[in-house]
This record gives sequence, C-alpha cells and structure tokens, in this order.
Amino acid sequence: MTDRSDHTRATWRQSLQGWLWVAPALLFLVVFVYGPALTNIRFSLFSFSAMSLDWDFVGFDNYLRLWNDPKFTTALTNNAIYAVISVACQVGVALTLAAVLEARVFPDLSANLFRTALFLPSILPVVVVGLVWQLLMTPTTGLIDQLLWETGLSSWSKAWLGEPDTAIFAVIFVSQWQWTGYIMALFMVAIRAVPRDLYEAMEIDGASGIQQFWHITVPGVRETILIVTIITILGSLKVFDIVWVMTAGGPNHSSEVLGTLMYRAAFRDDMIGYSSTIATVIFFIALTIGLMQIKLQKDR
Amino acid sequence: MTARSLTALAVANRILLWAVFLTLAVICVYPMIWLFLNAFKTTNDMFAATWGLPKVWHWENFSTAWNYGISRYLLNSLIVTTATVLIELTLATMAAYALVVLNFRAKAAIYTLILGGAILPPEVSLIPLFRVMAETGLYNTYFALILPNVAFGLPFTTFLIRAYMTGIPGELREAALMDGAGEARIFREVYLPLCRPILASAGLISAMRVWNEFIFALTFVESETVKTVTIGVMSFAVALRADWGVLMAGLALSILPILATFLIMQRQFVGGLTSGAVK
Repeated sequence: MTDRSDHTRATWRQSLQGWLWVAPALLFLVVFVYGPALTNIRFSLFSFSAMSLDWDFVGFDNYLRLWNDPKFTTALTNNAIYAVISVACQVGVALTLAAVLEARVFPDLSANLFRTALFLPSILPVVVVGLVWQLLMTPTTGLIDQLLWETGLSSWSKAWLGEPDTAIFAVIFVSQWQWTGYIMALFMVAIRAVPRDLYEAMEIDGASGIQQFWHITVPGVRETILIVTIITILGSLKVFDIVWVMTAGGPNHSSEVLGTLMYRAAFRDDMIGYSSTIATVIFFIALTIGLMQIKLQKDR
Repeated sequence: MTARSLTALAVANRILLWAVFLTLAVICVYPMIWLFLNAFKTTNDMFAATWGLPKVWHWENFSTAWNYGISRYLLNSLIVTTATVLIELTLATMAAYALVVLNFRAKAAIYTLILGGAILPPEVSLIPLFRVMAETGLYNTYFALILPNVAFGLPFTTFLIRAYMTGIPGELREAALMDGAGEARIFREVYLPLCRPILASAGLISAMRVWNEFIFALTFVESETVKTVTIGVMSFAVALRADWGVLMAGLALSILPILATFLIMQRQFVGGLTSGAVK
C-alpha cells in the first residue's frame, strides 16, 4: 500500500464512505464468483439432476466415484501435460524469442514485423482458431496432410485429432501457436525495463549474447517469469474452449480435460452433483496454485 | 554489434535466427491467409488445391455466410462487449480510487478479496450460476453474459487501474479537498482524466476477453437472437460441415472486425494488451 493514511485507524464514518466506493465491485464478485463457487462445493455432496426436486445427500460418494473414474485420471494427466508443455513453450521459448528480438539482432522494422506476426494469433477468438486448425488438420483435404504429401513425408500423415495418441497433443500444439507470441510480447515489455547499461557493461567484458541472457535478462525479469508461469499453469488447469471446439474430449475420451469432463457431466449427462464434484476439484487446485503464488511473492 | 565481432560463427548464428523467425512468422500468419483465400473457393476447388489463389473468386460465399446469421452474432457480441466493458471499468475505477486514496477499515482484506477472484476459473461457479440464471429469468438474455463477464473481469481490471492510480500524486487530491471539492468530484474531474491511458488499455484487454468469451456464451444463452459470435460460429460450423467455402467465409467475417482493428492500430494493441507486464 502506498498511501500514508494506513497508519491511522479509520473512523466508522470514513469507513462507510470507503465501503460505498468498493461495494459495487465487491457485490459483483460475491454474487457471481464467490457465492456460486461455495454453492458448488455444497452441490458436490448431493446426487441430483437439473430437473429433479429431491436431492440425495451422498456425502463424499461423488468424490469416491470420481477417484475411481478412469476418465478423471485421463483428464488430470492431460491437464498436467498441458501445463508442462505450456510452461516450456510460453515461458522458455517465449522468453528466448523476446530476448532475441530485444537484443537488436534484427533491424527495427523486421523485429517489429516479427513481433506483430507472432502476436497475431492471440487476438483471434479461440473458437475460430480451433475451427481453422481443425480444417487444417483434416486428413487428405487439410493443408497439413497436403503439405506432407508434397514433401514426400506422406508416411507421417495422420488424423491428428482423430487418434487417441495424438489428439491432446494436437490441441496443445494449437494452444501454443495461439499464446506463445503474446507471452513473448509481455516478456519484451519486461526486458525493456531492465537497465541497458548492464548489457553494455557485460558486452565490454566480451560476454556472448547467451551469457548476457542468463546473467542479466533472466534475473532481470524474474518477477515476470514467476507471474507468467503461474498464469500459464492456471490457464492449463481451466482450459476448456479449445478442447471443446477441436475434439470435445474425444476420440473415446482420450483428450478429456477437467473442464470438458465437468461440462459434459452437467450439461450432457445431467449429473449435476457429480459435475460439481469435478468443479470443486478444479477449485481446490486453483486455490492451491493461487496460495503458492502469494507465498512465492512474499518470499522475495 | 560491431563489424569486428561478425565472425563466421556470428554470421551463421544470424542466418539461423533469421530462418527461425521467418518460419515462425509464416506459421503464425499463414493459417489466416489460408482461411481468407479458401473462403473464396468452392468445396471442390479446395479439395483440388488447398493452397494457391482461387481460380474463380466466389464472393457469394461471403453474402451467403452473412445472411446465415453472422451479422446478428456480430451485433450481439458488440452489445455484450460494450456493456460489459462500460460497467466493468466504472466499478473497477471506483474500487481502485477507494483503495488508493480513501482510508477505511478492512481495506487490505477487501483488496485481497477483489484480487482473489482472478484465481478462480469460471468452471467453479458455472453450475450454480446456471441455476441462478434460470431461476431469475436472466437465462437467454444479454444480462446472462454481461453480469458474469463483469464479475470475472473485475479483479484484473481493478489491479491494473489501482497500480496506475498509485502513481498519481496525492497532493492533487489534497489541494482539491482544500478547495472544498468532494470525493465524487475529485474522482470525476481529477482522477478520471488522468487515468485515460490505463482506462484505454484496461478497456481493450477487457473487450478482447469478452469478445472471445466462450463458456458463459455456451451455457447461458441459446436463441439465435442472443448468441454471440463465438457460439454463433460453432453452430454455423455444425450446420455447414459440407460447405467449407461458406464456412470459411463465415469464420473470416467473424474475425474481420478484430483483425482490421489490430492491423490498423497494432502498436496501441500490443502496448495495451501487454500493460501490466511490469508493475
């Protein structure tokens, strides 16, 4: 907190004024975020459908059932794979690309064009991105298959989204395609805030670009790396739209993630209590990650 | 880099970097070019050669797609996005103002409560929200999208605006207080004008998020008259499985507004969307 007034305890009258200013925002959060999230936890202890009037209290039965559901294991694994690849790509690769663009390797105009080109996918709606890549990945008629045929690599041709081994990876790939450039642009902003003379001093000492990257850039943007990592992990946990559009969790539930599992349970299979259980799991994982972030930031 | 450091290795490095970035740029941009070119083709042309220019430019694909309902979806998205951004910015700016300049009890706890919302994904509130929407009659109205979108956007928007406001010298407010101005007037006449840059950035970030929002739109509305463009193109894609040309024209139309704005104002876009990268 930056203001000095924190030191004196506010009177009730002052407090009332402050509360009135924050009340609308707080009300929205309580009514549409926190309230429903808590209600959801209560729902997870019942077994009921959307239309049913009688709710059976089942305690932790839904959790037990979820634990033994092989689709849940698949979903958790897929979310984890999603997170690992996304962190590698959106933190590792994006930071490297940002460092190269900020190191003035390219003339300003081309550096700018590269940034714009790589940033472009992030402004597009996930649905459109999913649908376009679905068309690109269609066997025989899609661009990727035709490209493989043209280059004599037809033996690699595959129904990328139609086979259980590759479906989730194809979706994850598209997600990296969409977001790496955006995170790169974030890192470029962060790198620009690192004092230039640090680089110049190291360059005089004859340090290579790679040494400068490890000794100046990485420590200089540590805070951003931490935040981006957390955001990326949270994003991989809540991922829903791109999977729903491209595979809907298929084929044969191989590309299921927690989000699609939850959505299908609630709005396709009408198992509201069970679906709330999945949402509660998401809630607690998100909470854990959030608390970890707070702790990590306090530690410095 | 100076000329003397351009050894053979450095040259090789540089060529490699050019190759890498050129490849990445093509991979990022080409799918969109492909989309726009194929939007002019018939399905048969596409099967014959998915790249290359169309032999005959089938402009009618676009009018077919437009009449299929894209225009209505775009209008709905515009309404939902505009309303959400206006409400969200108003509430976030008020909250940020109080958090920065006013003194009141439980301030730190309230700020944590507002920020904490950013951790929770929409999935955790979706089912109870759905029931609330159904019971209150909000289901299948614009409000069913606007209200939760505001709530889930508030944490980050408040964070951005608050961070910016802490940079405004408190003396400005104190001087205005001396002149007998109330908080509401200081807010309107001193803080709002000074916050214009961050309001533009936060508004852009919020608009992009709402325009692309998916799970609420999938769950809380169902009629063609309320559907936003993200869900609209989904139903569009299902209906037009067999007619790729028209489907792609529809997809192209759905992203045209955003793409055009981005290309015209790319500097402001990138700048605005990445604000908040460093505190």
